[in-house]
Amino acid sequence: MKKHTLVVVAVAVALGMSGCSGTSNVAAGGDSVDSVTIGSIHPLSGSLSGVGGLMNAGAKMAVADINEAGGIESLGGATLVLNEGDSQGKAEIGQSEAQRLISEGAVALIGTYQSDVTQNVASVAERAKVPLVIDVAVDDKILEQGYSYSFRIQPDATSMGASGARSLIAMGEATGTEIDTVAYIHIEGAFGGSVFEAFKTEAEATGITVADEITYSGANFSDATTQVTQALASDPDVIVVTGYFPDNLLIAEAVNALKPDIKAVFGIASGAYDDNSFPAAAGEAASNILSANYHYSATSDRVADIRTRFEAANGESMETASMLSYQAVEVIAAALEESGSVDPEVLRDAISALSLTDPLLEFNGPIEFDENGQNINATVVVMQVQDGAVEQVFPTEIATKEAILPAFSR
Amino acid sequence: MTALGVAAPERLADLKRRLPTGARLHFSVLALVLVVMAFLPLVVPESALPVAIRTLVFAIMAVGWNLMSGYGGMFSFGHAAFFGVGAYTNAYLLTAFGVSPWIGMIVGAGLSAGVGVLIAYLCLKYKLAGSYFALATFAFAQMFLLVTLNMEFLNKSEGINIPLLPEESWSMLQFDQGSLYYYWIPLVLLGVAVAVSISFVYSRPGQFAQAIRDDPTAAESLGIKVMKYRLIPVALSCAVTAVAGAFYTQYYLFIGPDQAFGLHVSTDAIIPAVIGGIGTIWGPLIGAAVIGPLSAVVAGFLRDPPPFLEFLYGTSGLDIAIYAILLILIVVFLPKGIYGTIRERRRK
Repeated sequence: MKKHTLVVVAVAVALGMSGCSGTSNVAAGGDSVDSVTIGSIHPLSGSLSGVGGLMNAGAKMAVADINEAGGIESLGGATLVLNEGDSQGKAEIGQSEAQRLISEGAVALIGTYQSDVTQNVASVAERAKVPLVIDVAVDDKILEQGYSYSFRIQPDATSMGASGARSLIAMGEATGTEIDTVAYIHIEGAFGGSVFEAFKTEAEATGITVADEITYSGANFSDATTQVTQALASDPDVIVVTGYFPDNLLIAEAVNALKPDIKAVFGIASGAYDDNSFPAAAGEAASNILSANYHYSATSDRVADIRTRFEAANGESMETASMLSYQAVEVIAAALEESGSVDPEVLRDAISALSLTDPLLEFNGPIEFDENGQNINATVVVMQVQDGAVEQVFPTEIATKEAILPAFSR
Repeated sequence: MTALGVAAPERLADLKRRLPTGARLHFSVLALVLVVMAFLPLVVPESALPVAIRTLVFAIMAVGWNLMSGYGGMFSFGHAAFFGVGAYTNAYLLTAFGVSPWIGMIVGAGLSAGVGVLIAYLCLKYKLAGSYFALATFAFAQMFLLVTLNMEFLNKSEGINIPLLPEESWSMLQFDQGSLYYYWIPLVLLGVAVAVSISFVYSRPGQFAQAIRDDPTAAESLGIKVMKYRLIPVALSCAVTAVAGAFYTQYYLFIGPDQAFGLHVSTDAIIPAVIGGIGTIWGPLIGAAVIGPLSAVVAGFLRDPPPFLEFLYGTSGLDIAIYAILLILIVVFLPKGIYGTIRERRRK
């Protein structure tokens, strides 16, 4: 009988632990107009914790700036509170974090950097009727579910892949560089796959052959020589690359080591090639690499001020992803100001009707969302690493340097 | 294969007659645990519910893994394959043909059992054992990942979304977010999985399987059909794991190649069983209860640390460090897992 009891107690106690996840700051936010809680979800641990942490810092800075400027006036100067969630880079953790943040009183969410995590968070937002402002996540499909509570500031995959292809072609024509064949290396998963599909459709429509599609797994990726060698087998004019920072860095290094006879390495939505830490990280391998991506405005004073303060506070350069997190908080703040309500459903309508001028990114106009929640003025620019710095090179109106194409003289 | 997953009542009764002490004790503990657990969501905060649900999914997977690897002695390092088959079968049948997830779950379990039996048959036929068997299962899981990534009808790398329904539906296994059914359903599934484990372990095939695990040559010399009684726990194991996969898809409303076949899925099935105690009925549950909430507990703690640990505020990844330390400590000091070691001490 004693044995009985012990087993029962042990099992019950152990299983009981499953419920004891500590949740602390339940008091934050809620219906009080003293403060308004925004939930953020980014990969704060795991292999993407570098960029995730910086995005979180960007959002935090936006909250601090808005509070310093008097908070939300239409809510009697209510201050913003950022409740930070960690997706660990996993879709199911992102989902449970979203549920936690909402149950702790978040009236809106921002996040999440990865397409699959965002997918799950968007479904949580939809079911809980709490708006989600996507800072970074490229996959078209996220907004194709017919959800009405998800909004995206950055361009989607189709738009990035297609305008990446158009930019490449236009730059080739402008510089008299013949581009007939490309090989495409991209990360496995929704992000790489969707950008690739859009690029391929657009490129093939204009007569460019996509000779090879090479995919790699982001996990445990430690050398790209195999992938680059495989890409070179089709004798391409250009290698196009889509992926995150560590893997794209390896690809650049492998290209540099092999010194192939190609005209350019062209990143589309690459997490590395327009990152300010890339030239230093890759050294010689970074030289003249092109990148079509959404980008913070390199010509705006407001952006320059934010970036300077960010760097002073965090000791690291503020990249476009962090800028988008900052921007996402601004979008929510503007909608709160507009609606004067902390009701998430009213807030949703306000975001949907928003026209936010002076965006922090190099966009075609103010931030406005279409019926799917996509920012209609989001666009990409082409950058190039020149003399150890990332320069805007295309379109020429916003260029800080002239493009070098062919990028390599071999 | 699915017939094996359900112990018919008369067979249960028969079992109880034959082995009154062991099985009956386990069944009564199971009933008690389920009743206690059923009330858990009423006492914990709402935000802990997703963690509890994730823990239940881990527990089902670990119970499944334990059948094959703990009782069958065939160490699988590729249970993601079976989890993924269950998840994708449900997702595909539902999105392409509108099949109810309950049916999808059963079909997935059957398919997964078939796949598992085939893989195990090939491995055993070619005399792969120990780490070679583990590596082979790992390779199969990776193969499934790659195949899925290249299958147009499975949406390749994009994964499959389960469409949101306007209203709650029992037949389509979809409820409002935060609904307690999302907790009670996996709890019942876990109960069934544990009941299957208990019935199997105390059944004749289960005894044969354990005899083969301990000494295949001796078992064979006694006339036990080694291959047959090795494949039975494999089939059960895969079916149980597939059910976890199907529920996962319904709860998260999304399944992608990485969520289904990623390496971490295989380890998610193994670690709770290792921590709790391999080859024990309750080990996987105890292990899941320790591991499942770990990262949420640590993260919650870090969001609001006590004053003397203020310096830890905002650090991330600490849960992974604790997880690793815990794993090392358990392997060193409790080599048979938490429950396994306790049980052994009591027997002495």
